[in-house]
Amino acid sequence: MKIKLYGSLRQKAGAAEHETTGTTVHEALANLCTYHDALRTAIFDGAALRAHVRVMVNGHDCELADGLETAVSANDQIAIFPPIAGG
Amino acid sequence: MQGWAGKILDINLTSGSIETLPLDMEMARLFLGGRGLGARLLWDLVGPEVHPLSPENALIFTTGPITASASQTSNRFNVSTKSPLTDTILHANSGGWWGMQFKRTGYDVLIVRGKAAAPVLIEITADGVVIKDAADLWGKTVFETTEALGQSRNKRNVLCIGPAGENQVRIAAIMNDKERALARGGAGAVMGSKNLKAIVVEGKEKNQPADQDQFKFLLYETGKLLKASPLTSQALPEFGTAVVMNVVNEIGALPTRNFQQSQFESADKISGEEITDSILVKNQACWACPITCTRITKTKSGKEGEGPEFESAWAFGAQCGVDDLDVITEANYLCNDMGLDTISMGNTIGCAMELSEKGLLPGDLGFGQADKLLDLIHATAYRQGIGDELAEGSYRMAAKHNAPELSMSVKKLEMPAYDPRGMQGQGLVFATGNRGACHETGNMLGPEVLALPRLIDRFATQGKAGIVSVHQNSAAVIDSLVYCKFANMAVAEEFFARTLTAVTGVPFTADDLMVIGERVWTLERLYNLREGFTKEDDTLPSRLLNEPVAAGPSEGFTVKLAPMLQEYYAFRGWDKNGVPKPEKLKELGLDSLISNQ
Repeated sequence: MKIKLYGSLRQKAGAAEHETTGTTVHEALANLCTYHDALRTAIFDGAALRAHVRVMVNGHDCELADGLETAVSANDQIAIFPPIAGG
Repeated sequence: MQGWAGKILDINLTSGSIETLPLDMEMARLFLGGRGLGARLLWDLVGPEVHPLSPENALIFTTGPITASASQTSNRFNVSTKSPLTDTILHANSGGWWGMQFKRTGYDVLIVRGKAAAPVLIEITADGVVIKDAADLWGKTVFETTEALGQSRNKRNVLCIGPAGENQVRIAAIMNDKERALARGGAGAVMGSKNLKAIVVEGKEKNQPADQDQFKFLLYETGKLLKASPLTSQALPEFGTAVVMNVVNEIGALPTRNFQQSQFESADKISGEEITDSILVKNQACWACPITCTRITKTKSGKEGEGPEFESAWAFGAQCGVDDLDVITEANYLCNDMGLDTISMGNTIGCAMELSEKGLLPGDLGFGQADKLLDLIHATAYRQGIGDELAEGSYRMAAKHNAPELSMSVKKLEMPAYDPRGMQGQGLVFATGNRGACHETGNMLGPEVLALPRLIDRFATQGKAGIVSVHQNSAAVIDSLVYCKFANMAVAEEFFARTLTAVTGVPFTADDLMVIGERVWTLERLYNLREGFTKEDDTLPSRLLNEPVAAGPSEGFTVKLAPMLQEYYAFRGWDKNGVPKPEKLKELGLDSLISNQ
């Protein structure tokens, strides 16, 4: 599945878009971090998401689904945002 | 001075009189300053019989008790007037340096009334206050005027209008410090109607806190909080406000092509990330601000200036179907130089593009025509050709062509960069905005998208009224102190209250501040009711209420406004017609205003 990175996460991973696999958000993110270790500390605080990091599945925040255990499949699109503010 | 200087400078341009009046300290305690004090003074000075562009309207520039104290972000100031765009109460605030410098002249408030016989400027220095001839400046742009009057960041600061204000364009801004804007609602046109080109300030007085030790402690603690938050120490400095472009697009709430779609396929090309990668020269801060969110940018043609901010990048980008960041950036520069509100300008051009594509407006204007933007902005500022229609704002322009429903505005103020079909609470904020559709008076981006302070369901309607009301009250009191709302992302109201107490010597709690916020919001509501506005004006464009989003994460949604509005009136202690009940007015200390009518 496609994972899109935003803000400072792009610099840490060297690109804005990546392909990865997994059956849950957590698996997909963990697989991504395997190849881009700098992302791990930017996204995770231990086993949980770091404060203010938002993860969307097809435009919907996974916190309002099953969090990191939200089920995903190959056709889903995940977007990860580091802490951002503005407006 | 300790918080308040205790003085109002009252200038009548018709008679040329210059008076110093005492600030009513009880009024100051109840409304603080900025937006709140501006609303309270406007209530007394400008009644429903006054046309916004007549000499009887007043421009009320207000600082807050913390302004110029050196507390982080204590640089902002406010202008209050009756809007020529909306006919509602108008407040607009700006950062930079001018507000700090005006406070240092020893006044809390500047009231400008009447109309000069010929163009003038006002100069306020330690040597006194003078009204000067400004015939040689009339016709000059904002950048030319600012330079001609000797702008100097920490010593001498210039506030002025450009050609748009002179020509009483209804979406004209008042500009300060060259590229900062009191942007929304057409305050620039009011200044132009008074033949007032500029206000120059040089101050020497200091806002010295009553409790120096406590103030220094709070300065230190606030600095730590701003540094500890990744929002204020990393996100805003690194990518600026436009970093939210992609997240708003991702969730399907980025208005595109005059709100016909809610996702822009080229959002990334106009985002904060792209600005940082391709045109950023450096970031910059307002006075006493460690956040440094301002972007200094340079386009491929070598032009350099401030911005664009998120709203401006959206207005000339997604709203117009344009993804050329260089053109968008130069459109932003041009609006600053002409003295135009970028949100209303871009939104109105997007409306014109749809009118034209639908055959309702003569010509071949269409979405994506980046090459037309600069000419349209210039024509608007000088009211030339089609620009004369754009200068009236989107509602009057669309209504003239028998399609007012294509104006994406509330109370005639153009909507900012959120499609409320994907953010229901934001829809309630826009519908109930006292100055019209506005994201600065209770933005729900925090709770509905960024999980600040915590995430709520953006599609839900039940329970939104209370959250919206609290956000509106909070914004109203921050605008009255006057702080920057970005500081509030790391620093809670409790800290603002403690700092206010340290500066003024008058005890305030966080709860006191929220009551003041509610008082300000309710007074603004009373003002609009007195002007003849009703609950029928608390609405949204029919597109947002009746046309479901066609595709993307918000597909199928319209704004379910009616149930939220009912809940909102009840939560606020207003009757079913949106009129504050007598007991609510008594609770807020506003009952005497109504009984004196």
